[in-house]
Amino acid sequence: MASKAGPGTYIGAIILAIIFFIPLWVLILIAFEPVRFTFGRVYPSFLPLGFTLKNIITSITTPGLYLGSSLLRSLEVAFMVGGIAIFLSIFAGYGLSKLTARVSNKIIVLLFLINMMPGLIISIPVASEFDKVGLYNNIVGVALAQELVVLPLSVFIVLGGFRGLPKDLENQARVDGAPFFTSFFRIILPLNRIAIMVAFLLSWMTSWDEFTYAVIIDPIAPSNSTFPVTLYNYVSRDLALDAATFALVATVPVLILTGFLMKYLKGQYLSGGMVV
Amino acid sequence: MLNVTEADSGGYSERKIRRSHILKDLFYFSFALPAIAYVFILAIVPAGSAILFSFFKYDTHTLTLSNYYALPGIGIYGAIVDTAVVSIGALLIQLFFALFLASLMMKPFKGNKLFSLLVIIPFGVSTVVSAYVFSLIFQAFGGFANGFVMLFKPLFLALGLKGIATHGIDWFANKWSSLGVVMFSDFWKNTPLIALILYGGMSSLSPSMYEAAAVDGAGPLRRFFYITLPNIAPLMAVALIIRGVSEFNIFALPLVIIGYSPKLLNTLIYEYYPLAITRPWAYSASVVLLVIIMAFAAIVLYLGGAPKNGQ
Repeated sequence: MASKAGPGTYIGAIILAIIFFIPLWVLILIAFEPVRFTFGRVYPSFLPLGFTLKNIITSITTPGLYLGSSLLRSLEVAFMVGGIAIFLSIFAGYGLSKLTARVSNKIIVLLFLINMMPGLIISIPVASEFDKVGLYNNIVGVALAQELVVLPLSVFIVLGGFRGLPKDLENQARVDGAPFFTSFFRIILPLNRIAIMVAFLLSWMTSWDEFTYAVIIDPIAPSNSTFPVTLYNYVSRDLALDAATFALVATVPVLILTGFLMKYLKGQYLSGGMVV
Repeated sequence: MLNVTEADSGGYSERKIRRSHILKDLFYFSFALPAIAYVFILAIVPAGSAILFSFFKYDTHTLTLSNYYALPGIGIYGAIVDTAVVSIGALLIQLFFALFLASLMMKPFKGNKLFSLLVIIPFGVSTVVSAYVFSLIFQAFGGFANGFVMLFKPLFLALGLKGIATHGIDWFANKWSSLGVVMFSDFWKNTPLIALILYGGMSSLSPSMYEAAAVDGAGPLRRFFYITLPNIAPLMAVALIIRGVSEFNIFALPLVIIGYSPKLLNTLIYEYYPLAITRPWAYSASVVLLVIIMAFAAIVLYLGGAPKNGQ
């Protein structure tokens, strides 16, 4: 559409690309450079001056740092959040897609309004209730709470997918004698798989990043917690080097996932659904 | 299942058809019930109980407003102002750069793909990680940012800024610079998301509009202000609501970068919640935050018109 790219475009693009890349670069430098080039210097350089794997190996092998176990915990929680999200949103999305837009939009707006409430006002009472039923300091408890953050968006994404399917498909299947569940599971659901996948991955990533609910419902003591909370714990204990290597290890897989997701992120999925 | 054929069985009386429609709608509505029940049990009920608790004394369980009267003493006014400054400041910076980013992504220049891939990085870096990295980059003394500042030492000496030339900039020297670092980190983390939303809107605009405008002699700036901006304004309003609400909820970033100096609303709540004695204060402060967020959403909805969902 817009005008051709002039030199200004390139200069702007390069400056912005540097700004967006530098923090990741700093993380890589700290993780892979010998400490004397990073924390050992008052003014560390942005240029790579050395390479070592020692930092990563030390962080992994130091006992009592919960590196592996907290990543594992985050993984379990994230998959649980994604799973519950698509389970609930497949049903909700399908049902809402059959209602008139006037009704279904009201329900979606309601879900998003609830999503606007501060995490702390919800999580503090939830934590004390969870404590009574054994869900405090428990991966299921964290997953159930984090689900609140992802549910509106994933319902909306899946609903958008169902709305995009031609209505006649389902009628056709029914005319051909397929019972409701057959037509639902063998025709409708497979056709909507991309929306469902995007909903799952976005929920997964949100859970991987989520801090507020995790720090209240699954604090670091007495056992370990998810990776953001554990990282915060490292930072507050001044374990700077371990925190950096840990952060990098936890970030790289998600970056790859983001690159993969990008194709879908550019579309309508991200606008919180509220595309006009 | 329930479908239109049911109405056929008993003749075509209007009442029966209407009833079957209602039954059908109820049937499909029931699919959404699990999700609705979920947010009701895990969000509405807890939030309601937090509001309730904020009006009770922690020990005697008698009704009181003392939890609210205590708030000025723990710095609620400062926290409200600082939260508003961070939220609105970060929001404006993000919106400005997101527009810029999105228009850059629209341009067909060499390396466009790589550029899009680089600017999406922050979306994949989790909040706590980015907060931590920024706390390493910006330090009171030394650090990567000051290393960069030191490259311009002669310049600062020439300008007579001897303090900066000898030991760099203390990024946490005062409240405003600390809030500035938080804003910058937040800008870094969240701009790509808004840029992608706006990019989605921009790429759906028809190229022929731009061609027509260009033929009529409109330059790039004019085309941006008179074609792009009005056409994506509704999307910008949506981005403003989504991001604005999350801005007021900002928590992990300030907690990691500046701790409790100065306190924002969420860090204030977090500071007072662990002790049973002070927990009611945390509740009353979180009610204040809830009211602010709802007011913000109402104002944006009122100004921008309610967003039409879906189609």
